[in-house]
Amino acid sequence: MNVRHSSPRYSNIGVDTGGTFTDLVLIDELGAIRTEKSFSTPDAPETGIFDVLNRSAAVLNTTVPEILSRTNIFAHGTTVSTNALITRRGARVGILFTAGFEDTLAIGRGPVGRVGGLPQSMAMDFIHTEPPPPLVPQHMIRGVAERIDAAGEVVVPIDIAATRVAISDLVEAGAESLAVCLLWAFRNPQHEDRVAEICADFAPEIPISLSHRIAPRIGEFERAVTTVVNAYVGPVTQKYIGELQDGLSNDGLANPIQIMTSTGGAARAEDMDRQAVSVINSGPTAGLVAARFLGNQLGDEKIITADMGGTSFDVGLIDGNTLEEDPHPYLNQGLPISLPAVKLVTIGAGGGSIAWTDGYRLHVGPQSAGANPGPAAYDKGGVEPTVTDALLVCGIIDPDNFFGGSYALNPDLSHKAILDRIAYPMGMSVDDAAAGILEIVNARMANLIRKVTIESGHDPAAFVLYAYGGATAAHSAEFARQLGIGKLVLPYAGPVFSALGVAISDIHYSHSRSEPVMLNSDALSVVNRNFVHLRDLAISNIDAAGLDRAGFNFRHRIELRYAGQMNEVTLDWPRGNMEETDIVTLRRMFEDLYGHRFGAGTTHADTPIELISFRVEAVHPTQKPSLAEIKPAFTAPAAPKSRKIFIREQGHIDAEIYDFRYLVPATMILGPAVIERDTTTIWIPPGNSAQMDKYGNIVIGMEAHE
Amino acid sequence: MINPVTFEVIKHRLWQINDEQGIAIKTISASAIVVEGNDYNVGLFTRNAELVTAGVGSLVHVTTMGDALSSIIDKAGTIADGDVFMTNDPFLGALHQNDVVVAAPLFRNGEVFMWIGNVVHHADVGGIDAGSFCINARTLDDDPPRFFMKIMDRGELVVENEQTFVNNSRLPDAVALDLRAQIGAVNVARTRLVDLLDERGEELVEEVMIRSIDLAEEQVRNFIHGLPDGEWAGEAFMDGVRVGDERICRVALKLICDGDTLRFDFNGSSEQVDAAVNSTYPATVAGSAVPLYSFLCQGDIDWNDGLKRCIDIIAPEGTVVNASYPAPVSISTVGFRWLVTVAATQAVANMFNSSPKHRDRACPSWNSSSNCNNLFAELPNGARTGGLLSDHRGSGAAGRSFADGFHHAGTITSYASSLGNVEGSELKFPIRYLYRRRMQDSAGAGRFRGGSTSEVALTPHGVDQIVLKLTNTAGTEQTNAHGIDGGYPGAGSQSAMVRNADRAILSGKTGQIPDIVGIGGELTWLPSKADEVIREGDVYGFWAAGGGGFGDPLARPPVAVAADVRDDVVSRGEAERLYGVILRDDGTPDSNGTLVRRNAIREYRRAEAQPTNVRLNFSCPTCDGKIGYGTIRRPLRHAGPLIALRYDGDGPNFALEETVCLDCGALAAVHEILKEQPESSEGAVS
Repeated sequence: MNVRHSSPRYSNIGVDTGGTFTDLVLIDELGAIRTEKSFSTPDAPETGIFDVLNRSAAVLNTTVPEILSRTNIFAHGTTVSTNALITRRGARVGILFTAGFEDTLAIGRGPVGRVGGLPQSMAMDFIHTEPPPPLVPQHMIRGVAERIDAAGEVVVPIDIAATRVAISDLVEAGAESLAVCLLWAFRNPQHEDRVAEICADFAPEIPISLSHRIAPRIGEFERAVTTVVNAYVGPVTQKYIGELQDGLSNDGLANPIQIMTSTGGAARAEDMDRQAVSVINSGPTAGLVAARFLGNQLGDEKIITADMGGTSFDVGLIDGNTLEEDPHPYLNQGLPISLPAVKLVTIGAGGGSIAWTDGYRLHVGPQSAGANPGPAAYDKGGVEPTVTDALLVCGIIDPDNFFGGSYALNPDLSHKAILDRIAYPMGMSVDDAAAGILEIVNARMANLIRKVTIESGHDPAAFVLYAYGGATAAHSAEFARQLGIGKLVLPYAGPVFSALGVAISDIHYSHSRSEPVMLNSDALSVVNRNFVHLRDLAISNIDAAGLDRAGFNFRHRIELRYAGQMNEVTLDWPRGNMEETDIVTLRRMFEDLYGHRFGAGTTHADTPIELISFRVEAVHPTQKPSLAEIKPAFTAPAAPKSRKIFIREQGHIDAEIYDFRYLVPATMILGPAVIERDTTTIWIPPGNSAQMDKYGNIVIGMEAHE
Repeated sequence: MINPVTFEVIKHRLWQINDEQGIAIKTISASAIVVEGNDYNVGLFTRNAELVTAGVGSLVHVTTMGDALSSIIDKAGTIADGDVFMTNDPFLGALHQNDVVVAAPLFRNGEVFMWIGNVVHHADVGGIDAGSFCINARTLDDDPPRFFMKIMDRGELVVENEQTFVNNSRLPDAVALDLRAQIGAVNVARTRLVDLLDERGEELVEEVMIRSIDLAEEQVRNFIHGLPDGEWAGEAFMDGVRVGDERICRVALKLICDGDTLRFDFNGSSEQVDAAVNSTYPATVAGSAVPLYSFLCQGDIDWNDGLKRCIDIIAPEGTVVNASYPAPVSISTVGFRWLVTVAATQAVANMFNSSPKHRDRACPSWNSSSNCNNLFAELPNGARTGGLLSDHRGSGAAGRSFADGFHHAGTITSYASSLGNVEGSELKFPIRYLYRRRMQDSAGAGRFRGGSTSEVALTPHGVDQIVLKLTNTAGTEQTNAHGIDGGYPGAGSQSAMVRNADRAILSGKTGQIPDIVGIGGELTWLPSKADEVIREGDVYGFWAAGGGGFGDPLARPPVAVAADVRDDVVSRGEAERLYGVILRDDGTPDSNGTLVRRNAIREYRRAEAQPTNVRLNFSCPTCDGKIGYGTIRRPLRHAGPLIALRYDGDGPNFALEETVCLDCGALAAVHEILKEQPESSEGAVS
């Protein structure tokens, strides 16, 4: 009984299911963070979750029910929805479109639906790049006679009898989930609501996704994609979460679990009817949430996140407390959605990216050797040189101590692959070819970061770079230098960064709606009405979830443009209402932002401004732990080893090699040096210096030390 | 020579800077066709006006821009740091007057180091017809004004010049924003290039620029060297050059592969016309290069001026493909420039198809007509609105040697040439779409069928009338939607006006909305250029071309035909008539019935074919027979129900000619030919 009495309570548990590992972060009431890893079990992801819970319980010398019954928030990042979409194993969906527009998805805005979201080089291959497989076969699509116009007026009343027939046809044909995408429904939801009523009458068991609820924004193709994907992955996601909830409740968890979404916040299981689509690609978003949390602790406000894994490199942006967002993210090839998500820009540059030459040029990627066969050095049949092979040849990674020695690497195979495939055909030395591969991939990553920051009107040099993901740290100092970034942070929690972000994610309800109106006195009532309406929607979510309204912060945003433009910029509006005097203020805010981005001579005082969409976000901050200081086992660092590292134009130089486990905070490490950790390899180039801070993060100062 | 790693690193940076320029344009622009349709492009150029990097928009915009830049360098009084020039003069290198070129020098050490440029299609730049595709123009005087001026002078906006340009437009607010978009884009690129130059130095960056063009040239030359030497034909016709003039004009093309050079010989093309559809020489060069960028360079060879060094364009002066001043040219890009690309696409496909190693790159047609619709109206509040719809991008592409063609493929000049959303158009224009849907039987029949086009119908909404300026490249009689190896052409590009449509249908009382022919009222199939008013109660419908088929449709697997019927791509009637596939009531193929039907079709072909006197030195690829080929002439409608609708499927000028193996009855070629020209066009069987 004494044990029970003294056992801690846990404020947050975050479990993130990734492709390879299921990671767990456990935060106790005092803010101490514990982490655990276990292999993922793709066929039954909940098994991996209980595995990692069991491992954690064993380490803590307790039981899973003991932990769960003392846990306040259990948050989860899942790939179930993403996998259902990518493998096309979602529900059988029936779709209702406005009659005459049944082919909205099939036409797909032409090339948008065929090559949108693909890397440039694939899109440029006009004749060989195939369109993505459709989510819904043509025979599961029906038109409903009805029409609403751009002003929201009913032009053709909905044909109730025909709608009944269409729904019953679809149900008979095997529909497990319905999507309703009527033109201009976001201006007037009356017809979609009627469809929902009819459906509830005689097919109440079938979930229904209404476009004005899922994504009430202008542009029927993107709205339809959002709605149909929600209908497609919704049942799978809900079933999985329901079962997981039952399992965890049986083991003593008192509260409903929270599910990570791509908005950067968490949703409840009961929100999945509307938000299943947001669960897709949520894993990388959690990394940004963790970076923001860490930034708050370390006092970094402007953060670029960089996450390089085996196949891809993701970049995100944090400015102040705000995660940069993408108004039209692609879920996958040909599937753009109109639900804003946290902006994450990806290129195919990872440890497994293949270097190749066409006899003229040296290319890296976008093809990847993945985990199988993987880099040549894995000795699993891969003969093509990868970025990992180049790191090995240059000496940055140690063949005997890669990922804590868990992968045995054969450097001879790396050498041979680079010799055969690059160095010989291009007439270079193997060392130069390896260094060249790294230089190209580093430059591509720097270019991506430039694009992401400058596109949003920022200078990358004003940011701190947070690098996580197993492959990032071998490159991050190199591309940070190219960008003029002054400080690079390699988080202590990097190996479980997504799980950390999941654990501390805030409850987040976001509602938006398009109602285009010119910015003048007449707009005020539209703005105020929309803000009230959207706020009411968020409050109804809060009430339905049984949460306390007082715990939520509300944020109001307006998307606006010069009249006639086709794209909007998003501004934060400081209040939930607008008055006559605000018209001038809003115009000034818009033109400041605009001029800043596009330079002198681009603003246009004579052109009226048009407000397009409004958004209200309700955020319930979770209680955040304070980072605990690490307690080093040693008072002085162990003496480093040494090895030769090849650098172009300098040749082979001696670098000091440190073992992360034996580092002591505040000790200065001067480059060239490598810090080896069982999850990553950290490269500190000549001229840079690194220090472990008191929380165990490695901080690299990018200023030259010559 | 420059280190290949440094080369790759800097080249990629240049590409990204240029991409940034394009993003700026799309963010600022006020034009649906620019933002949702990508009718713009951006480029970086050497100090000598050679294209280093092209953006993702319309290719012909940047591949002509070097000519405009050369004119600027040649004609500008002074060129100073901070200057920005603009011109839309087709006789100085602009594609046509709507496509406004904005270009800025980037100075280093007091000298021009390089040029930054972009082109945007402006919604209206004046001229006698709204939207500036001057379908009524007979002379250059009727065309829009041609500007050549400094829009920024040493960093300051030249307001007087801006006003001159803006005030000549019917849509001053829209063009003002788009011009600012162009200036903003140049600003963005210049700032970033300065960073790059400060970091890497002028010498190295210039070396990369020059080397990247040289390298592309080297790669293209080596590629061409690997192609068989020979000669291939391409052809396209225009059926109507301006409102009220429906004469037939021809683009004739002989493509010659000679060592490491490709020669495009346009001898035999029609004389230039007193209508704005003429193409200038730079536009013809750009139009010829399009299928080479898309199918030869693909994603493997950089899209820059290296390619242009490997091609010779022979276009006799005074023809529709090399119009002399003062020919009107405001429609050029969707006029004869478009047809140059259509003919070049066919010829290039014939060339690739002749080589087993390159056959997978053969695609004989890809949006073969730009069915452009400029709509203008006065809104109830007195404001004027107008611009170009993007629906013609729903057009199909031809079948491929290994798979069907793409439905709704966009244009071959840009992989990003998209259709806008219906809701976006309805917000912008006072119209209501009745439908936008995939068009049954619009895909050219073939072993690998072409891609379908999409059709739309719309009616005025909230206004009494809308002015329509229809600029359909061609396709109301012959389609130009070429197939290959016995594949049939796709649907022609067609527009229809229905006066006083059935009110019950307009009000939605009838439920589903029928095709344009079933919508009541009086229907007129419009010629390719038309000047109309759509009134309240009228319905206007149109579609662009379908893609042509690849190979004899009788060789298509019956299950594939059945799937097309299930998905409404092909009707049951056409499945039987063109594919010889009989379907059971449950939609599955009846194999015996199909066998019998297909044999009957082959038998008919053998019986009807008139032996040609062309001696063949090869055997039929289907049966290996050596008897030879014959031809059958049929009305155009034989290729499908959406061809020559103005003439009930049998036009006054064109017929369909099938080339048949006399041994086995397989189709070797299908061509649309002039009735007056008895011999089959050259290169029909290659």
